[in-house]
Amino acid sequence: MPTVVLMDASLSMTRPVSLEGSEEFQRKNLAVHGLTMLFEHMATNYRLEFTALVVFSSLWELMVPFTRDYNTLQEALNNLEDYDKTCLESALQGVSNIVQQEWGSTCPCQVVLVTDGALGIGRGSLRHSLATMKQRGEDKKFPLPFPFPSKLYIMCISNAEELQATDAMDNLEQLLTLSGGEGHIFTMDGPLCLKSVQAMFGKLIDQAYTPFHAVLRCGNLASDVQVFPRPEPVLLDDEVDPVPKAVLTELEIVGFIEIGDIASPPVLSRHLVLPIAVNKEADEVGAGTTDDMEEDTSTNQMAGKSPNFCVLLHGSLKVEGMVALVQLGPDWYGMLYSQADSKKKSNLMMSLFEPGPEPLPWLGKISQLGPISDALENPYGEDDSKSPFPVQPKNKRSYAQNVTVWIKASGLQTDVQKILRNARKLPEKTQTFYKELNRLRKAALAFGFWELLKCVAELLERECTLLPDSAHPDAAFQLSHAAQQLKLASTGDSQYAAFEHNITPMLTDFSGGGGGADRM
Amino acid sequence: MKTFSVSHKTVIVVDHCPYMAESSRQQIECDMLTKSRAQGVIPLAPVSKSLWTCAVECSMEYLRILYDIYPARKLDMSAHRDILACTVLQVNYIVSDSEFHILNSWRQEDQSVQELMSALAAVGPPNPREDPECCSILHGLVAAVESLCKITEYQHESRTTLMDMAERVANRGRIICLTNAKSDTHVRMLEDCVLETIQEQNKLAAGSDRLMPIQQCELVLVHIYPQGDDTLVSDRPKKEISSVLNSEVHSVRAGRHLASKLNVLVQQHFDLASTTITNIPMKEEQHANTSANYDVELLHHRDAHIEFIKSGMHSIFVFDQCIPDCVCTGDLHMAGSTSRDSGLKETVTLKWCTPRTNSVELHYCTGAFRISPVDVNSRPSSCLTNFLLNGRSVLLEQPRKSGSKVISHMLSCHGGEIFLHTLNSTRSTLEDPPSISEGCGGRVTDYRITDFGEFMRENRLTPFPDMPVDAAGRAPFERAKAQLERHTRYWPMIISQTTIFNMQAVVPLANLIVKDSMTEDDLLTCQKTVYNLVDMERKNDPLPISTVGSRGKGPKRDEQYRIMWNELETLVKTHVGTSERHQQVLECISACRSKPPEEEERKKRGRKREDKEDKTEKNGKESEEKGWAPDSERLKGAIEREKEEQSESEVIKDSPDSPEPFNKKPRLATEELLSLEKSKGPVSLLSLWTSRITQANSRKHQEFAGRINSVNNKAELYQHLKDENGMDVHENGKATR
Repeated sequence: MPTVVLMDASLSMTRPVSLEGSEEFQRKNLAVHGLTMLFEHMATNYRLEFTALVVFSSLWELMVPFTRDYNTLQEALNNLEDYDKTCLESALQGVSNIVQQEWGSTCPCQVVLVTDGALGIGRGSLRHSLATMKQRGEDKKFPLPFPFPSKLYIMCISNAEELQATDAMDNLEQLLTLSGGEGHIFTMDGPLCLKSVQAMFGKLIDQAYTPFHAVLRCGNLASDVQVFPRPEPVLLDDEVDPVPKAVLTELEIVGFIEIGDIASPPVLSRHLVLPIAVNKEADEVGAGTTDDMEEDTSTNQMAGKSPNFCVLLHGSLKVEGMVALVQLGPDWYGMLYSQADSKKKSNLMMSLFEPGPEPLPWLGKISQLGPISDALENPYGEDDSKSPFPVQPKNKRSYAQNVTVWIKASGLQTDVQKILRNARKLPEKTQTFYKELNRLRKAALAFGFWELLKCVAELLERECTLLPDSAHPDAAFQLSHAAQQLKLASTGDSQYAAFEHNITPMLTDFSGGGGGADRM
Repeated sequence: MKTFSVSHKTVIVVDHCPYMAESSRQQIECDMLTKSRAQGVIPLAPVSKSLWTCAVECSMEYLRILYDIYPARKLDMSAHRDILACTVLQVNYIVSDSEFHILNSWRQEDQSVQELMSALAAVGPPNPREDPECCSILHGLVAAVESLCKITEYQHESRTTLMDMAERVANRGRIICLTNAKSDTHVRMLEDCVLETIQEQNKLAAGSDRLMPIQQCELVLVHIYPQGDDTLVSDRPKKEISSVLNSEVHSVRAGRHLASKLNVLVQQHFDLASTTITNIPMKEEQHANTSANYDVELLHHRDAHIEFIKSGMHSIFVFDQCIPDCVCTGDLHMAGSTSRDSGLKETVTLKWCTPRTNSVELHYCTGAFRISPVDVNSRPSSCLTNFLLNGRSVLLEQPRKSGSKVISHMLSCHGGEIFLHTLNSTRSTLEDPPSISEGCGGRVTDYRITDFGEFMRENRLTPFPDMPVDAAGRAPFERAKAQLERHTRYWPMIISQTTIFNMQAVVPLANLIVKDSMTEDDLLTCQKTVYNLVDMERKNDPLPISTVGSRGKGPKRDEQYRIMWNELETLVKTHVGTSERHQQVLECISACRSKPPEEEERKKRGRKREDKEDKTEKNGKESEEKGWAPDSERLKGAIEREKEEQSESEVIKDSPDSPEPFNKKPRLATEELLSLEKSKGPVSLLSLWTSRITQANSRKHQEFAGRINSVNNKAELYQHLKDENGMDVHENGKATR
């Protein structure tokens, strides 16, 4: 989930903070201090996150495009200049554009807005934007909610009392609601100082940037992993089940499936699964001695050299072309697989399926997937030539079952012609003739289209009179038999118009002892 | 997204009154072939459908699309969101004349076009001679409201699951009424009647378990009139009649117009959208070597277009060039929206893309949506669907005026169902990740990749739809997890950590021992495997012991076997609790594994020595006369080594090349060593080391009491026996050798 830091660079940010006895700080300095802390945290614990830095006043500027280089971000932060008044709307519009240009409109994004809560005055102020929101045309819509899924974190370099004194707090709350409600407004507790800004950004880090650690298990084999980006809780149905589902920290492999069988399934999100070395002893001791650093590097080296289950799993998944089905929570599953990027680097990846007992119709219910050893015979065949997947649905779809649709005249005409074409090739085509005839009969009965039955009966009778002398004698019998049956059906008489009833070929001396009828 | 939205329940009410038997006056020529062949044959008069036939076939088409895209699903509490777009939708079909006829129920098995066709055939066309005074669509509408109050299996299931939160399960529904109304006043009368019935039924439902009050109802009245007539009813967009009832009126001519109206309605009602696949190459029947390009229109959930919809908005915002035509499609020309049927229909055009994709590629797919062809029986449609049903997939690209080609969708079939997959075509946030070889365990090179691959094949999954739980009450996926647990009880990850898994000879046993239950045959195979190993050991066959990490050639042969047997025992021990037969395998190993007669003895000795060593260590610092403060770590290693070498020296003790011992301490000068001394030869490094260690060790244990009291290095054993039966001392001494 990429992050956009939207930094207020208006003049009000240069307001000094009154501090007793120490050197004078501006609010901007506090903001920079907080962001520095955030960037440092990300550089060490969340370094795969892409972050962009945008500053705004009445105009906005993309200072650093999306990057994982936190030094660049820090440098830009240190060289901020001061500009004029606050105009949040155009800045949010800018954020919307930047994100969509980079990531499209389906990638979830976090926006960290850092401001002093002085949200401008007059035209372009947030108050003005919110007030005029409803009186705008399609082309001038307010940028929130963003077209992409987003979380909005508002970091106020001021305390709650200060914001509540004006309508700033109300406006910000309204902004958060507009954005879809995902996110939070953070304010500073107590006096404005380095300590309280640290506390505030600490809360943001806890809420949005703590790495997701889990244990990946396959029976007794296990590995500690970090899942990046961290999987977000999913809300299924706001009415029936309003509690979002979260991924458990215990990821348990259920079994394995061929890539061809899982067949490019739809997924909610994709995540890297990175093995990590958890040094529990170090955590417990944690005395902070001088040679801590040395120990750290040696631990890393050791970690590289000691076998890790993730690496084994990744290697085999890659070689075999398989995925591992993994349970993420109650009735929630995902898959692990090897993903190679263009540079031939490859990685263990996890995709999350839709929560639910049957995320993919072609696998059936996951809880009903069991080990092949339980089957009477290997469903993959002795030479891996078969597969139990895909699971076939109970009913065929319309396009797979030769349905009758006469909405367009051509549909009806084609069906009538098929019958006539076969009628002219009797008795060779006896079977197809009756098959098509019965199909038409059924549909005509269901649609209450008795007139059609009469019409086709007449057509068949006429075909009978038009038969050439060379025709097989059976043809005439079958045609008049079929015509008669259709006429009977068209009366609606329950004996002849039953839907399940089929017209069967007439038994004649020429039709080989009714063999044709048997085959019907 | 709500599971129980208005779309959860749909009641279709079709008018079966005598006036519906009237002709639609849309004529269809059936007698087509006569033109080409007949001379003097008078063509048959064209047929025309009745209003009833038009209503029925269009409603069936509505349902065909609905069931294709939202098929009936087995009962479970799954609330699917948008990536597969399968909410549970159910339809109740009612026809109305002098009374109402309910043709199906809310039950899952009744949700099929086939069932309804059969029921409709039983109803037959309206009887034009029936008394029009007794017949009314009202019977059907009242029945529809009653039906909406009836709880569906899903609602029931959800309420049961949610227990005290049962009130979260809503009851909403839609009534589609296909009728021929007299006038606008008649329409209002119908609406009032529905509203009244809802109010009455809600009162009733409040006191019942199997009924639920209706919270929201959408009434869609479709007035059908014959072609050529003027309509007596005017169209009216959706309007709120009361807080529970919305109503809209569509006045449509029978035939083609009715069909396209219902097609539009099914899209609106179930959030569908249309995609036209263009440039489909298809072989012509007449000219097999040429192919023409065709277009096929498909319907599917509209979320398959989510990226287009959003980028459309995006373009308006970003570039601020809002041309009216562009509003829905955006500036990218990807959506290529074309308005047809007097602007009612919009479709997104995607281009057939060759080469095709292969099935072993795992695409990053953000959604999959069932499709239904608009014109299911047309030749282009059936060619496309058959192609896909045969298991092939097609990538679809956005037609762009310029620039690179963007593949955004894929059509693919899974088990007889065709899905439109949406593929991610934007930049990934996971690009350029650190390679797995850079992380933990990344430097290890001898993972058992092939073995784990084999393990994965054995732990593949297969569906057991008819066996929900086994005797122990475990669902199939729990059995799969249990199997993984059993198979991994002893599973070394790298080649150099294991001997047995590098040996072909162990495979049969290793495969069988992990089983949940073993047959008598399995046990026999395991035992045979063990005997085979014994045989190998007897023949002194080499073992694939890894030499990684150890200097030199690694352990000697019999030590290798000892390691192998130990490992095998470790493996089998982890399964020993599974069954009696598993236990027997372990017993077989214990009984058969090589324990040279001396080994047991040596082990005991070794153990004693270690005990002593511990004690000596404690006193070590005090006993200064020994002058050699041992590094305990090194010493332990040395002892291990010494044990190995001691066994080595035993093996070669009769060899003529046996070295002369280096150190002849009187205390150690056993007869054995003395005898070795006699055979002359060069002193090997091994013997130097051995004697040095022996010497070092000898200082650290108390001397054997017998040896201390010995005369001329010979101790008299069993002295007490001598007292009793006067056996010869000398003889006893020999016997010990």
